[in-house]
Amino acid sequence: MRKLIGKSMAIGAIAALALTATACGNGREGDTGGAKGDTKGFAADSLIGVALPSKTSENWVLAGDLFTNGLKEAGFKSDVQYAGASTTVADQQAQITAMVTKGAKVIVIGATDAAQLSTQVAAAHAAGAKVIAYDRLITNTPDLDYYVAFDNFKVGQLQGQALLDGMKAKKPNGPYNIELFSGSPDDNNAGVFFNGAMDVLKPEIDKGNVVVASKQTDVKQTAIQGWKAEGAQARMDQLLTSTYGNKELDGVLSPNDTLARAIITSIKGAGKTIPVVTGQDSEVESVKSIMAGEQYMTINKDTRNLVKQTIAMVKSLQAGNTPEVNDTKSYNNGAKVVDTYLLPPVAVTKANAAEAYANDPKLGPLTK
Amino acid sequence: MSRIKDLQKNLFGGTTSNARQFGMIFTLVLIVLIFQIWTNGLTLRSDNLIALFNQNSYILILAIGMLMVIVAGHIDLSVGSIAAFTGILVAKSMAEWSLPWPVAILFGLVIGAIIGAWQGFWVAYVGVPAFIVTLAGMLLFRGGNQFIGNANTISVPEGFRVIGSGFLPEVGPDTGYNNLTLLLGLAACVAVVWREFQARKTRREMDAEPAPMWISVLRMAVMVGVIVFASLRFASGRVGTSFPVSGIILLALVLAYSFYTRNTAGGRHIYAVGGNSRAAELSGVKLKRVNFFVMMNMAILASLAGMIFVARSAASGPQDGNGWELDAIAAVFIGGAAVAGGIGTISGSIVGGLVMAVLNNGLQLQGVGTDKVQIIKGLVLLLAVAVDVYNKKQGRFSIIGSLTRSFRRDTPAPPTAPPDAERETARTAVPS
Repeated sequence: MRKLIGKSMAIGAIAALALTATACGNGREGDTGGAKGDTKGFAADSLIGVALPSKTSENWVLAGDLFTNGLKEAGFKSDVQYAGASTTVADQQAQITAMVTKGAKVIVIGATDAAQLSTQVAAAHAAGAKVIAYDRLITNTPDLDYYVAFDNFKVGQLQGQALLDGMKAKKPNGPYNIELFSGSPDDNNAGVFFNGAMDVLKPEIDKGNVVVASKQTDVKQTAIQGWKAEGAQARMDQLLTSTYGNKELDGVLSPNDTLARAIITSIKGAGKTIPVVTGQDSEVESVKSIMAGEQYMTINKDTRNLVKQTIAMVKSLQAGNTPEVNDTKSYNNGAKVVDTYLLPPVAVTKANAAEAYANDPKLGPLTK
Repeated sequence: MSRIKDLQKNLFGGTTSNARQFGMIFTLVLIVLIFQIWTNGLTLRSDNLIALFNQNSYILILAIGMLMVIVAGHIDLSVGSIAAFTGILVAKSMAEWSLPWPVAILFGLVIGAIIGAWQGFWVAYVGVPAFIVTLAGMLLFRGGNQFIGNANTISVPEGFRVIGSGFLPEVGPDTGYNNLTLLLGLAACVAVVWREFQARKTRREMDAEPAPMWISVLRMAVMVGVIVFASLRFASGRVGTSFPVSGIILLALVLAYSFYTRNTAGGRHIYAVGGNSRAAELSGVKLKRVNFFVMMNMAILASLAGMIFVARSAASGPQDGNGWELDAIAAVFIGGAAVAGGIGTISGSIVGGLVMAVLNNGLQLQGVGTDKVQIIKGLVLLLAVAVDVYNKKQGRFSIIGSLTRSFRRDTPAPPTAPPDAERETARTAVPS
């Protein structure tokens, strides 16, 4: 008897489905307006999708909150999504597809893998949505509309310069022993940071003033897959064992704060004095570390400004205008040159921290 | 009352009806309906259905192979790494040796076969447990992927992308639908009807009593209704989209492997080995060959899944395949396979995979974050298997039964389950 209830319910459900089949035989949607490139804008309360990478960095969590609040204030409906920790690419693909299905007018993407989203970006474009690459460029797709980011080559240059300045302040004369770290090879930015830093460091290395003692200077050797802290810590451990048994390490080029702290942990664990270590992102722990005199510098790329700029672009698309860009030449994604808005980064050391974070409610108090 | 009994006995898969599997189909329909209402009709909209198949076909393909591995009493943890390894090799073969893409696909399948033979050798002929062999494979081929790809992302040419993100072409007169998808649906309807009559004929020839006519008609009506609904949905997507190519590959594999596992001696041997390998061996099943086959088959399917994902992503990347083994294993267990082996069906695993897929998709449409989605999926997996284990302990086979037990006032059902359900799960059903 019990089974019967269940089964008859299921039969009913399936029959209902079968009935709706005939009822919903609607024709197909043709080409949507956006594909034809009209610039009339869209309703002021439209859905804006934001797809961000997994929550591995404080910055992404902050960006997500800022987008949620900022888009709401601007009158839009928002859908802010993070990729999962292990299946990042597949998650992000599915999330972007879901946003397209829900009819998002603009989709802002902080890509987990720069080259594996072209199918979804194409689908978004075909459905009439504008796609903005946030912080990370999406490659190999002609359907990307805009790119907004901090000037990442400049970030690398600032890191390289700070490394030289910091070492000089500690020890007036070289040669200095340094080690190089770079970010995840599937992140388009990682190479840009590294090249920027090498732009400053290479002349000094060639002069013999700065020495990479382990001789690991190739980006394939220095890369840390997935920007994972444990990866950087393990690599630093090995470098200390293999190279710095009786040598002094003067500086480490680290592409971001998470890796910088992992590197410092490794060096402390080995009982060595902490060298000059660079960073980026102004994470809370790293700002504390800088104030405590451990990490030497970080980069302030105020996420608030980047999100503010992105929302400004969304607003101008909504009004049917062309968003402001300041670079239409540098960022070729393999299929086209993407219109880009670049924001300037700021290098922060203990000396200028108070000034740099004066307007930051979370970091400001740490510098007092 | 007798009519209802007839219905109960005959509607779903005739006398081999398995209430467990039926329970999952019921759950799937229920989840679809809940999300359909919750998302204001987005769930069953054509573009979402198309996306659903595009996003999950590679996991479902893995589930087919995984079902056979699990039925044989093994497990395969290396599928994600094999998929990534094949993906990067195939992408490189096209980018650097400029292999034409059809050759590259063949190349990928050959790689899968070689890897499968390697793992099958250790499992079947050396006797290392599959858990260890594939754990080693997981590391081995993940490392291989990074070694070959240098953790770079390598894009694949347009032609190759068809198997992952391609659609049936638009041909014939403008009917307002994708004509080839409609034809596919029509063929499926004809096949369903033909199969029903064929089954009736077989039963008559065997002097067995065929199901009452009205049940046959009802069953056909339900199946045809679902097919008509699905094909109209898939055919009415945006121009240029249709039932996806990856979905067609999946369908073909499901049909072929269902036939193999149900109706051929080779397929039944897998169940025999998983149920009781000693007894199977004594009855003349070539144990080593069966074990070798399931491991090798799994690796080939993993390679295919890897290529489909690469085609869908338009590039092979270092994160490919992460965690796929767990998705595939979850699908198989939700679909009713037994951890000890010997029990499970392909269609059950597909339904299990779809339950996860619809859950994932619906929650994403609602904007639920991946953190919560993972929590929900974890609970669903645990619950599905726990209900199954509980029911087996009680000697019951009905999920619905235990759910509605509290509403019941009449005398308890006889403790023995219907004999046909017992037979379906019998462990050593070796055909002579």
